[in-house]
Parts: sequence; structure tokens; C-alpha cells
Amino acid sequence: MRISGKAGLAVTGAAIGIISVALVALGNPANMGFCIACFIRDIAGAMHLHTAPIVEYVRPEIIGIVFGSFAISVIKGDFNPRAGSSPVLRFIIGFIVMVGALVFLGCPLRMVLRLGGGDLNALVGLAGFAAGIAAGCFFLSRGFSLGRASKESPLEGVAFPAINVALFIAFLAVPSLFLFSESGPGSMHAPVAASLLAGLIVGIAAERTRLCMAGGIRDMILIRDFTLITGFVAIFAFALIGNLITGRFSLGFAEQPVAHSAHIWNFLGMFAVGLGSAMLGGCPLRQLIMAGEGSGDSAMAVLGMLVGAACAHNFSLAASANVGPGINGKVALVIGIVLLVAIAAIVTERNRRSE
Amino acid sequence: MEDRDQKVVTFHSHYGALLYRRRYGDGCVLRPVPRELSSSCGTAAFVSGGLHEELFDENTEAAYEMTEEGWRKIYG
Repeated sequence: MRISGKAGLAVTGAAIGIISVALVALGNPANMGFCIACFIRDIAGAMHLHTAPIVEYVRPEIIGIVFGSFAISVIKGDFNPRAGSSPVLRFIIGFIVMVGALVFLGCPLRMVLRLGGGDLNALVGLAGFAAGIAAGCFFLSRGFSLGRASKESPLEGVAFPAINVALFIAFLAVPSLFLFSESGPGSMHAPVAASLLAGLIVGIAAERTRLCMAGGIRDMILIRDFTLITGFVAIFAFALIGNLITGRFSLGFAEQPVAHSAHIWNFLGMFAVGLGSAMLGGCPLRQLIMAGEGSGDSAMAVLGMLVGAACAHNFSLAASANVGPGINGKVALVIGIVLLVAIAAIVTERNRRSE
Repeated sequence: MEDRDQKVVTFHSHYGALLYRRRYGDGCVLRPVPRELSSSCGTAAFVSGGLHEELFDENTEAAYEMTEEGWRKIYG
């Protein structure tokens, strides 16, 4: 079956919305059927990279997304090992994107799922996300680019998906290697097979359709095109319907699951995610998909997110549910946004001079 | 849906596509790169007239034209 264009994006978005609600019904935290940032953070905890006891689990969804993207890209001829497009800058941007996401408490995908669950704090996050992407478009339209990637060996392209497979095998074979939460969001998870299957489906569908939470808003602003936004809207619509059917819809700001109402920090957290995603050429989900297709640069962004998640918890940068971020998180986020703007401005200026 | 006789130019960056459209003027529309050509979500220029290769620069990646068999590479 050929799935592409708006129809394919709508089907993929609908599938993600429905699968996300199903994963919550099967055990994942509320409004967290999928959250790329939260799940990478949980993996960081499981691997002893941070010591926050409530967010430690090897999330099979992430492994499934990367492997699904890898497998379908090999089958369909999209697998294209490449790297060399400012890898260290991408690592830093990925790090800051993760800090922003953990101040908000969710990646762009979870932001939409939270909206579908009636969490109005996510609406503030959406405003910040769109503002961040608009800021990214300002730089993109003036020459910002992290540079061209070069062709690499197949081994380079296979390395990141292989690490994910190795992690999954170790998780199944020697679970004592890892830390697992006994309470909190990390302790809440769907059965491994369901999580892995959900990840595989989303990885395959998102690779075929190029679904990206940031790309849709970027294209609306930059070229007035509404193709990619279709997936974003479909995820929201079907998560909303699913939550209404299963009785999990709760409209309001207060008492939302794994969320807080510190509005300015919700806005700024997602501003950083939006700006960083525009600079990276895609949201955290899209980075996983491109890493699966063989992009070493996207793999670097994901590794930046992994380290960013570890630091966010080791240095108390992440927000607490129902409370919001502490002073460390606020300072780190402001520094992160300043750094993103500085990187964008310096790279844009350098590119314009070299024209 | 792509029309016959339509041509598409792909670029290494969004900026390259924006510059090309600015220089090309009327008759050039920017849209996501056709999925058949790339798994990236970059920006492509769709033109129904000539390509105006004199507008190509280091940002230009390739150009294709629509045929009965699908997209055929004509530049790059």
C-alpha cells in the first residue's frame, strides 16, 4: 500500500492518536501513550545515567520507532547513511530541546496528546512551540543551515539502529543490568510486546509519510503549505475522540496528569523545543526516524537529547508535576534559549558572508 | 497532485528554495519535496515553465520533470 501525501499523513496521525490512547489503557501514564522526550529520559534513567527513581524504564516504543524506520527505509530504498552536518551543534541543540521538553513535561507529540486529553496547559505549550518555530523560520529564511551532510559507509548508518536492537536484547536477556521505577511514571507501562509493536507501526508509518510535529508549522509559516500539518491535526483529533470514548478526557488547567500550570515556563519550554526543532530540521520523533534512515547527524541529536535528559534530572532542571520548574530549570532554560538564538544568528551570518 | 510538464527543483536547504523562488518570480511555487524523490521533508520549487538554470547555485541539488513513468532527473 502506498501511503503518502495528506491522506497518508492523516492515516498515520489517526493511527498514532488511537495507538497512544490504547497504550495508556494498557498501562502507560495518562496522556503519555507516546512521548519521545519522556521515553528517552526513562531510558537514560534505566541506564543509570541519572538517578531520579520515578523515571527509569527501557521504553520499547523508542526502540520500535528507530528499528521500524530502519527496516522500512532499507526495504523501500530510503536507507541513506550520511553525516557531517555540524554534528556537535546538533548534539547541543538536541540537549537544549530536551531541557525545554522536560521543563514543559513533554515533547511536541505529547503536547498534542495532552491537548487531546483536555489539558489546556498544552495550549500554552503549543503557543510557545509555534513561536519557537516562527523564530526558527526567521533564521531559515535568512540563510540558516547546519550544512550539507556527506555520504557515509553503511556501517555508520547501521550503527545507531544496531545500538537500539542491542539495548532491547540486553533489556530482555539481562534486565538486572537496568534500573526500573517502582513508583511514578516510570513504573507505568504497557506490556513490552504491545509497546514494541506500537513503536514499530509508528516508526514505519512516520518514515513513509515524513510525519513531523515541527515541519507542519514550519511549512505553514515558511512556504504557506498545509501538507505536513495534516498529521498533527489528525493525532489531536483521534486522541481527543479516543479519550472521550474511554472516559479519559478532562478539560482544564488544574490536576492534569504529569503536567503543571507555570504558564510562562510551559511557553518558554516549548519555545526552545520549537526553535531547536526548526534548526535540527525536525521534531524529536523525526530525529528518531531520520536516525533510523541512516542519518548520523540525527543520531547525534538523539544522543544530545539522551545526555540532556540525564543532566536535566541530575541537576534538577526538569519540572515537577503540579509544581513546575525550580530555579535551576528556569536558569538553564533561559541560557538554553539564548544559546539557540546565538547559534542560529552566528550560523546565519556566516552563511550569508560565504555566499 | 503533480501535472504533466511540471518540473521540480530540489535544494540542499530551505534557504536555497526561498532564494530560487524570489529570483524566479511568478510561475514558481514552493511545496514539500515529492515523497517519490526523497524521504526528507525539505522544500522544493515546482515550476511549469522553464527551469531558468542561470538561477541555480550551490544550494541547488537536482531538477526533475514529470513523465508518464514518473519523475525523471534532468539536472544534478
